[in-house]
Amino acid sequence: MGLIQRTIEASGIATISISLSKDISQKVLPPRAIYPGLPLGHPIAFPGQTFRQKQILRLLLKYLKKMNVPGTIADFDLTESDDHSVTCDISTFG
Amino acid sequence: MNNKFDFREKKDQFIAKLLTKYPSLFRKWVHRSKFIEFSDSPWTPFDKDISKCRLALVTTGGVHLKSQKPFDMKDPYGDPTFREIPADARPADLTITHNYYDHADADKDINVVFPIERVQELKQSNEIGDVNYRHFSFMGHIMHHHIKTLMKETAPGVAAALKSDKVDIVILTPA
Repeated sequence: MGLIQRTIEASGIATISISLSKDISQKVLPPRAIYPGLPLGHPIAFPGQTFRQKQILRLLLKYLKKMNVPGTIADFDLTESDDHSVTCDISTFG
Repeated sequence: MNNKFDFREKKDQFIAKLLTKYPSLFRKWVHRSKFIEFSDSPWTPFDKDISKCRLALVTTGGVHLKSQKPFDMKDPYGDPTFREIPADARPADLTITHNYYDHADADKDINVVFPIERVQELKQSNEIGDVNYRHFSFMGHIMHHHIKTLMKETAPGVAAALKSDKVDIVILTPA
């Protein structure tokens, strides 16, 4: 996905993405990214978490404006742990 | 041939479930895999008023309209094409074709990978100016010769379309 993001940014449109792997993002260097610590398949949280999904979008918009160094990956731990059993517990919250 | 494909499809889906369930396995997979590496990033400065901006989504989650051709799961190197998703598409109109991640949760709520309803809500609350009339979707498993097609044709095609739509902000979601 980083390749697509880089192409859009290079065309003159500001972009920001969710990263699901800091290791991959540090190699592909998307212009702006946020790593929320969410598992694969869940870049915008879990089913039915309307408020949390919107908060992640707000976080992206906030950092779109805030970031001023190309290739920045902001690290947020929006889960208690990257252990799946914990991330799934969190998924039960609305 | 079909049996062979069915076996590979089931194997891919099983591996995807494992990588989703166990983040440590995913990290090991990342360490063993090769990615194109860059030492710098393209940059478009952004200092606009977000409440006046037009936003579009681009996902690599394999999302598409049920009426559109599904992404190609038979090609082991993936599918570099994209699908245009109308911004007013209902979740019930959408489906996911992508065997390389576990999309069971996204099947229940498409916003998990493609927040099409959430961005409309941000527009309704005037937090963004507008949602573009179309979003774009890829299938993120793109390898080998398809990377060239992606870089030379399909990704620039989407960028040009977003540019002609006068989109100010693109949010990208992987899977």
